[in-house]
Amino acid sequence: MTPFTYSRASDPQSAIEGVAANAQAKFLGGGTNLVDLMKMGVETPAQLVDINRLALTQVEELPNNGGVRIGALVRNSDLAEHQLITARYPVLSEALLSGASPQLRNLATTGGNLLQRTRCYYFYDPAFPMCNKRNPGSGCGALEGYNRIHAILGQSEQCIATHPSDMCVAMAALDAVVRVQGPQGERTIPFADFHRLPGATPNIETNLRPNELITAVDLPAMPLATRSHYLKVRDRASYAFALVSVAAILEMDRGTIRSARVALGGVAHKPWRATQAEKKLAGQQPNETTFRAAAEAELAAAKGYKYNSFKIELAKRAIRQALTTVATMA
Amino acid sequence: MTPNTEILGPARNRVDGPLKVTGRAKYAVEFEVPRCVHAWPVVSNLAKGTITAIDSKAAESAPGVLKVLTHQNAPKPDEAKSKKKEVTRASGIRIEDRNPLSDDQVHYAGQYVALVVAQTLEQARYAASLVRVSYAPEKPTLTMAEAAEQAQEPKKNQEENVQPKKGDVNPALANQSLVRLRETYSTPTETHNPIEMSGTIAAWEGDDKLTVWNATQFVKGVQSLLARTYDLDLENVRVICPFVGGAFGCKGAVWPHELLATMAAKVVGVPVKFHVPRKEMFTATGHRTPTSQTLALAATHDGKLQAMQHVSQTLTSPVGEWTESCGARSTAVMYASPAIRVEEIVYPVNVATPTFMRAPGECPGVYALECALDELSYLLQIDPVELRLTNYADNHPIKDVPFSAKHLKEAYQLGAEKFGWSKRSAQPGSMRDSELLVGWGMATCTYPAHKMAAAAKAILRADGSATVQCATHDLGTGAYTAFTQISSEQLGVPFEKVTFELGKSDYPFGPVAGGSNSTGTVGTAIHEVAGLLHQALAVLATKDPKSPLHNLQPNEIAMVAPGRIGLKNDPLKSDSYADILQRAGKESIAVESKLEEPEENEKMAFQSWGAHFCEVKIDPLLPRVQVTRVVTVIDCGRVVTYKPARSQILGGVVMGIGMALHEETAYDPHTGLPATANLADYHVPTNADIPQIDVHFVGEPDFAFNPIGARGIGEIGITGIAAAVANAVYHATGKRVRDLPITPDKLLS
Ligand SMILES: Cc1cc2nc3c(=O)[nH]c(=O)nc-3n(C[C@H](O)[C@H](O)[C@H](O)COP(=O)(O)OP(=O)(O)OC[C@H]3O[C@@H](n4cnc5c(N)ncnc54)[C@H](O)[C@@H]3O)c2cc1C
Ligand code: SF4
Repeated sequence: MTPFTYSRASDPQSAIEGVAANAQAKFLGGGTNLVDLMKMGVETPAQLVDINRLALTQVEELPNNGGVRIGALVRNSDLAEHQLITARYPVLSEALLSGASPQLRNLATTGGNLLQRTRCYYFYDPAFPMCNKRNPGSGCGALEGYNRIHAILGQSEQCIATHPSDMCVAMAALDAVVRVQGPQGERTIPFADFHRLPGATPNIETNLRPNELITAVDLPAMPLATRSHYLKVRDRASYAFALVSVAAILEMDRGTIRSARVALGGVAHKPWRATQAEKKLAGQQPNETTFRAAAEAELAAAKGYKYNSFKIELAKRAIRQALTTVATMA
Repeated sequence: MTPNTEILGPARNRVDGPLKVTGRAKYAVEFEVPRCVHAWPVVSNLAKGTITAIDSKAAESAPGVLKVLTHQNAPKPDEAKSKKKEVTRASGIRIEDRNPLSDDQVHYAGQYVALVVAQTLEQARYAASLVRVSYAPEKPTLTMAEAAEQAQEPKKNQEENVQPKKGDVNPALANQSLVRLRETYSTPTETHNPIEMSGTIAAWEGDDKLTVWNATQFVKGVQSLLARTYDLDLENVRVICPFVGGAFGCKGAVWPHELLATMAAKVVGVPVKFHVPRKEMFTATGHRTPTSQTLALAATHDGKLQAMQHVSQTLTSPVGEWTESCGARSTAVMYASPAIRVEEIVYPVNVATPTFMRAPGECPGVYALECALDELSYLLQIDPVELRLTNYADNHPIKDVPFSAKHLKEAYQLGAEKFGWSKRSAQPGSMRDSELLVGWGMATCTYPAHKMAAAAKAILRADGSATVQCATHDLGTGAYTAFTQISSEQLGVPFEKVTFELGKSDYPFGPVAGGSNSTGTVGTAIHEVAGLLHQALAVLATKDPKSPLHNLQPNEIAMVAPGRIGLKNDPLKSDSYADILQRAGKESIAVESKLEEPEENEKMAFQSWGAHFCEVKIDPLLPRVQVTRVVTVIDCGRVVTYKPARSQILGGVVMGIGMALHEETAYDPHTGLPATANLADYHVPTNADIPQIDVHFVGEPDFAFNPIGARGIGEIGITGIAAAVANAVYHATGKRVRDLPITPDKLLS
């Protein structure tokens, strides 16, 4: 680990100033990803600004519109069990509980989860000489390497990594909004614009600007979200990242799908909103043919590599299964 | 006293349990050694080449750094040139022959190329990141295919004939009127991953005295190996290891870290701790080689095997010789067949050195054999259990001598009954639990009974307590408890009053904790020392006019009841230990047994057996395999203490489920670096992956094998379970996956 200094911020403003004062500074949330990467030598911040004391730990109803605001420091375990979430956004609760382990969820924060980095082996271990994300211009070690966990949608020749979060997949389906505060003040970023596809700059993963602090995630009111499901397919029964995951929400109108919200995890550099599938679902009968057509449409552009081509078929099946589950809910 | 003929010993709680759950059990690297400093390695990130330069200036001037050792400045201790050749049996084990930092050659990715020693762990780790190593890279050989031309056929492996042969397999394998099968099964690299990583604290006193606190399965081996390496007197090297946090074979040999820690401590003049990082556990302390095994079977239409051929292809490294003897440990012992042929081909590749891992050879070998038997059962349309009974071997198939106490038929029977096997519908894909496919599979398990030499010391006190010592090990297996139980029975002292001490080279010789030999081997030593103790008491008593045994011959006397010795043919004439010692005015007496090679009985074969029955459920759409039920029945001679023994079988089954479904060390195909070298990416089963496991024991104490009647239990549980799972997966889906682990992608098509 590279030596670093540590300070503890008491409010958002001082946290932002603390990070802005040092070009090599980083916010420290639960540390479950950052500290790990520091030990591996992937992240080498010169200063850590600990934000764990900031008063951003509330889950609260938004005034007037029935939405919910989640403070950036709400722990994954608290969020998953929060009554506003289990009642209104069960898909988010399911997604959170499918991630990591209880111990990790007790530490992991909402803000940190949004910014957790890829589990690509070539990124995670600097012993690998090639990784455009860690070391721009060095090439992509995964492209012709052991790429079983890598992306099949939206990737580039420069990077085929996936975003590993479960929480974010549900948030993508829920049309969440990320609230941030920076040296220039506050702003909001729609979830779909928060994470980026890799393109030629896989080292730039989000549209956060330098020194911006995530303060909250807003979930819009979505009564239909009670009819939802998070399906995670993984290599073992628990405590494994998704090979493929699906967050699915169906709005039904007298036996017909009025609208659908579907997002995929484990397939792309960002939580993947399945807009092609959603289009195929709207206005259709909820049956096997419809679900199949939706899955086929979403994966039409998918591209697999030596070790991960199976994900294309797996994602199709997971979409069908998740939609079937939601459609048959009371 | 007549020997105990019960198969199950008492269900003792672990004697070291309270120490462990309260954190007071001290593991090797937890000892607080004054002035101890820390080491962190620099490893090669290419698989083959020559080091052309090492720039360690930045590291050397980093805070706290005491030394950066490289091949250019490291001492070159060399066991091969040692003057201390006298040590034989306790010679220790090396699997990787090359000494670390001995030259500029790189043979595999992950090889240690420098070692940074600093005041704190973090200082050492940081400074290690500053060391710049330049290489002249060469194209590495990484796979069997690439190494085809360097294939070696080992003649000998660990002193054992690994390519046994009986009759001629070719006529039957070519006979079209027989039912024949030829399939290839492969297993990936598996890594031991005990929770306690390997590690060493080395402390020198002057130039000729060395103490190491070392996580090891062989304290005496480490002692003698280090003595030879540094030309020291044996008694000037002390090895201490009271607890081991899991090992599974990766702590059996001396690996580079033991040498690096001792070298570094010599150079910096203070004790050095080198705790192998988790990532290096994948390259620097061995692993199970991947295997590719081709099984060819021929049987008559009524299921009688006529020929069995088992060809294994495995890997070793350029700097270590390791053969995973798959066929010799499975096909050569399991079934009655007139013709058997086992062949082994080993390929040296630029990948870290493999080693023994729980049931080396047996584990992958039985997996392949028992899958092939299952496939044959479908070809023949004979029930899998029936097929095994049809080919039941009363005699060792190669040695042609009877097995000492084989109760495998009972194991099949009891297992089938407990599992409900008779309700199985044979057709693959025919059993369902609503949407889920249900599969039932079974497999045989087997493991040989090994015996080695050991000695023990017993101290009996007038207060009725006893201490027994042997330089053996508890790998987390419950050995402390088993040896306390054996000592209690053999000495005739209540369980609560016995203290068993192990894990120190000061104690009488104990062999490597490997090959499931410890219980039987050390148990035999305890049996012997107990006999000596009773004789010593007899000498005191016969000389004592106040004793009922006065003037009798000591050799007519033995233990007649717990705490009493007496006349063998008139047990009523007896005296108690306490009285004998008290009257003799002795606080205690101590005796030590002699180290003697065990007698080999060539007229019998000694082998443990068992059967696994397993149920899986699989969602046909998203086919992740969930094991929902396991019944395992084991015939391993006497079970010394039921609870830890059962736990050993549970652990073996869990590890075998991991082998079947999860475990794989994957390598980057270009650099040869392991890609999954951490516990997030290297999957072992979680609780949610493990069902109820129903364990039973059958058989009889094997007194032909040793006076304890126990054949050992550490490894048999893992053999066969991967086959039982794979066979159940086939039964559920009709799809035969012959390439472990069976991850969801392999069942998609
Ligand atoms: C073994 C293991 C298994 C896991 N399995 C899963 C899984 O199955 N599914 C899953 O979804 N996740 C999984 N995770 C990942 C886990 O969810 C993340 O590590 C966690 O969510 C990160 O949150 P944190 O608060 O600890 O972030 P930190 O490690 O503290 O921070 C991560 C990044 O976010 C930045 N940051 C933190 N908070 C803010 C903020 N408020 N504003 C701006 N920047 C901020 C930090 O500077 C850092 O760059 C696993 C992790 C591990 C170690
Ligand atoms: S996929 Fe992305 S993160 Fe992985 S090696 Fe390639 S560039 Fe790096």
